[in-house]
Amino acid sequence: MRIDVYTPLVVSLLLSVVAPVVVGRVGPALAARVLTSAAVLTAVATTWSLVLLATALLGDAPPVVREAREDGHRLVDPVPEAVGVAAAAALAVVAWRVYRAVRAERRTRRALRRLCAGQPADTELVVAASQVPRAFAIPGRPGRILVTSAMLSALEPAERRVLLAHERAHLAHRHGALVTAATLAAAANPLLGPVRSAAVFLVERWADEQAAAAVGDRRTTARALARAALTAGRSGPACALNFTDRSVTLRIAALLAGPPPRLWPAAAAVLALGALPALLAADATSDLLALLSGALH
Amino acid sequence: MAGTESRGRAERRSAGALESEVLAALWATDRPLTPAEIQADIGGGLAYNTVHTILKRLYDKGLVLRDADGRRGAYRPAKNAAELTAEAMHEALDRGPDPIAALQQFVTGLSPEEERALRALLAGGGA
Repeated sequence: MRIDVYTPLVVSLLLSVVAPVVVGRVGPALAARVLTSAAVLTAVATTWSLVLLATALLGDAPPVVREAREDGHRLVDPVPEAVGVAAAAALAVVAWRVYRAVRAERRTRRALRRLCAGQPADTELVVAASQVPRAFAIPGRPGRILVTSAMLSALEPAERRVLLAHERAHLAHRHGALVTAATLAAAANPLLGPVRSAAVFLVERWADEQAAAAVGDRRTTARALARAALTAGRSGPACALNFTDRSVTLRIAALLAGPPPRLWPAAAAVLALGALPALLAADATSDLLALLSGALH
Repeated sequence: MAGTESRGRAERRSAGALESEVLAALWATDRPLTPAEIQADIGGGLAYNTVHTILKRLYDKGLVLRDADGRRGAYRPAKNAAELTAEAMHEALDRGPDPIAALQQFVTGLSPEEERALRALLAGGGA
């Protein structure tokens, strides 16, 4: 248990180091799915490990100790009390962070629903008559694509098709849910922040590839991105995320470089890395249960 | 080569997707467009009749208007719903932690040297 319970932390660090490497080497669809799955598994495992460490405090609780002594059991305490207390505190922080992330997610959903008010239900494209150049997908049933008039008039006809195909790909492949999952994982385990950034970048690359396939031209897709970026760059503040601030240039370069590789071995390795802490956490759980039942019976 | 290939693609585009393209084309310009102009703008071997059908559907939904005082048969986008949406969007953008920023956007900000590189790409220069 001593090793099992701390391994998820090491794995989260490894994942955050591996994520940027995977981004450049595995096809975006596969990489996004694999990294997000690994992040979610690891986040669950780290949180559960904290629960286990904090639960070990119960072993020191006077009633348990008394009962165990009365029954003539020898107490084995694998977790120092200080670690148990620290784990309980960390658990409280995790709960707070996840709560905040869920609340932010809800607020976004609500704001998005408001955007579609007054628009006919069975229309894919929602236009906002605005001078702020913006475009994004609004997940839901049915999913919508919101584009401002400023963005539409900045693009050439073929580029508008790229934009629509890109946003359509976000909706068709449920990228919103994928990013939400990565966001919640990073909220539960801050070490997974870089993995979340990688997932955010990868779903954009994924949608770019889908758009290039739909339009049948990688260069037009790259030009659409360039023009949209220049239009959006001129007005309004830029999103200052550590990974995305260079993302458009990286995405354009990737489009011009040709179709991405599909490296299954690398993807499988990342998934295994994510599954490892989950398995170890399960093992640690059975250790703890055995320990507790040993103390109580 | 583009001819047959893009015609095949056009057939595969769904009715909903075509509707979006026609609506996007009308919003992209300030002047009303005739079905023929929209057909030329969208390209991809789209039949004139298809454009007409789509425009009729958009008109029934109240998303486009027939241009009354301008050229006969020309269409322009209806502004009401789009202005409401813009209002809601600006409100969301102005409010504290930007909920829209949390979304995946088509593009994000640029540094000056990136801007130069992108301009070169659009000018048709080397990639």
